[in-house]
Amino acid sequence: MKLICDEVLDLAPGFVLGALDATQMAAVREHLAECPEAHAEVEQLGSVVPYLDASLEQVEPPAGLGARLLEAAASQRPVMAGAAVQAAAAEAPTPTPAPVPSGSPIPFPEAAERDRRTDARRDRVGKWGLRIAAVLALVVLGGWNLQLQAHLSIVQADLAAAQAYQRGVAAVLDIGTRSGAQTAFLAAAKPELKSTGVAAAAPDGTVVMALHDLAPTAGNQVYEAWVIVGQNAPVPLGGFTVAADGTGVLKTTTSLAQPGAVLALSLEPAPGATAPAGPVVSAGSLVAPTS
Amino acid sequence: MADESRSGNLRVSSPVDDADRQVLVALGEGRLDALEALYDRYRAMAYAIALRITADPTLAEDVVQDAFLGVWRHAERYVEGRGSVKTWLLAIVHHRAIDAVRRRRPASELPDPELPTPSQLVTADVWPEVAGRLDAVEIRTALAGLSEVQREAIELAYWGGLSQTEIAARTGAPLGTVKSRMRLGLLALRRGLTGEPDDAARTGGTQA
Repeated sequence: MKLICDEVLDLAPGFVLGALDATQMAAVREHLAECPEAHAEVEQLGSVVPYLDASLEQVEPPAGLGARLLEAAASQRPVMAGAAVQAAAAEAPTPTPAPVPSGSPIPFPEAAERDRRTDARRDRVGKWGLRIAAVLALVVLGGWNLQLQAHLSIVQADLAAAQAYQRGVAAVLDIGTRSGAQTAFLAAAKPELKSTGVAAAAPDGTVVMALHDLAPTAGNQVYEAWVIVGQNAPVPLGGFTVAADGTGVLKTTTSLAQPGAVLALSLEPAPGATAPAGPVVSAGSLVAPTS
Repeated sequence: MADESRSGNLRVSSPVDDADRQVLVALGEGRLDALEALYDRYRAMAYAIALRITADPTLAEDVVQDAFLGVWRHAERYVEGRGSVKTWLLAIVHHRAIDAVRRRRPASELPDPELPTPSQLVTADVWPEVAGRLDAVEIRTALAGLSEVQREAIELAYWGGLSQTEIAARTGAPLGTVKSRMRLGLLALRRGLTGEPDDAARTGGTQA
């Protein structure tokens, strides 16, 4: 034990300067969790390290960097943070939706079309379930042959996507099983799209949507969710970005989630849209479960 | 065991610190204006660090952007009590810059692919004192008080991202000598900054 302490004291300067190899770093960290004596030495040496940063003359970065950072940040907004922002926005009185801009380019689904899409939804949801099961079976069974190993990275990516989607679905179920809640199946807006999902709205206005097989967002792009009541204009619910796993989850609040209201998702060129400008990728109507 | 007078001297809470914490809370709420405020406050320090390590303006820009985006996406990872927001942020910049430089080297030279952020290592937070009392010139004066070999060992480690074994190979000094130079150099810098001898403080000595 004493020997280990001595070793840590010996490694302390390299440790605080980040000049040890991975094994040594880990060993020192492990030891520090228990040994106050070694910790004091590390603290004394480590307390000097930030002064090294402060010894530098400050250098202004190129002017464009700040703008690029904020652009990138806007497209990488954490999903749950988006929910918090939306919750704050929901407190502001917004009784009447914004007027529809004339010549609105968005072909939001007509009622008949929505019904047609709903028919297709079970098929798509079923296929996704089979895909999850297939991936899990592959992983559990093991016994890879060479050909399977070649596909391992693809399978792992699929598995991560499936897990991300499952977590989203679990959040939807959590809301959708509450008393008085409504649910919606979100069907793909075009036959060639596989972007489907589920959504639920609680009586308190909490809405959770989970979708899979969304095309990843690029640049400033953001998926924006909308709620449409009757013939009124779409009202934005909040946005999120999508990574390579194609999974999108949005938690937000709205006072407009009522039976028959349509939840829709569009791909917008930039965050903060007040009226949809991009293509609708998925939509569905809220219904109260029949008891 | 812990020396109160010295700890107190090194850990003074400051208004900047409190403002930073508020910014971090706002970041957690996804507010872009909070990110902008943090960037405006520390961009010049962050860029200076990234530029010093990478010696490449374009790469340094990427590093700074990555670091701020990391903070933006993971504000929740900041641990209160581990140091100021500033220390945390600049440690991330340092870490990513070292990472970027190491990626350009042959893999056999990589000392530690999972270098922990220095904020995990630095428990005593000296930033308030730096901000309030010392400027870069004074710190450089203190650095100038180190012997040349001490300064070289520290700089190769901290700015060069070399492991102590690599520093030994580079400088031709035995490993034990490299460790000793880093240690004595850090202690000498601390002495130069606080104006107090190492051992006098521990025995409650004068602080002149």
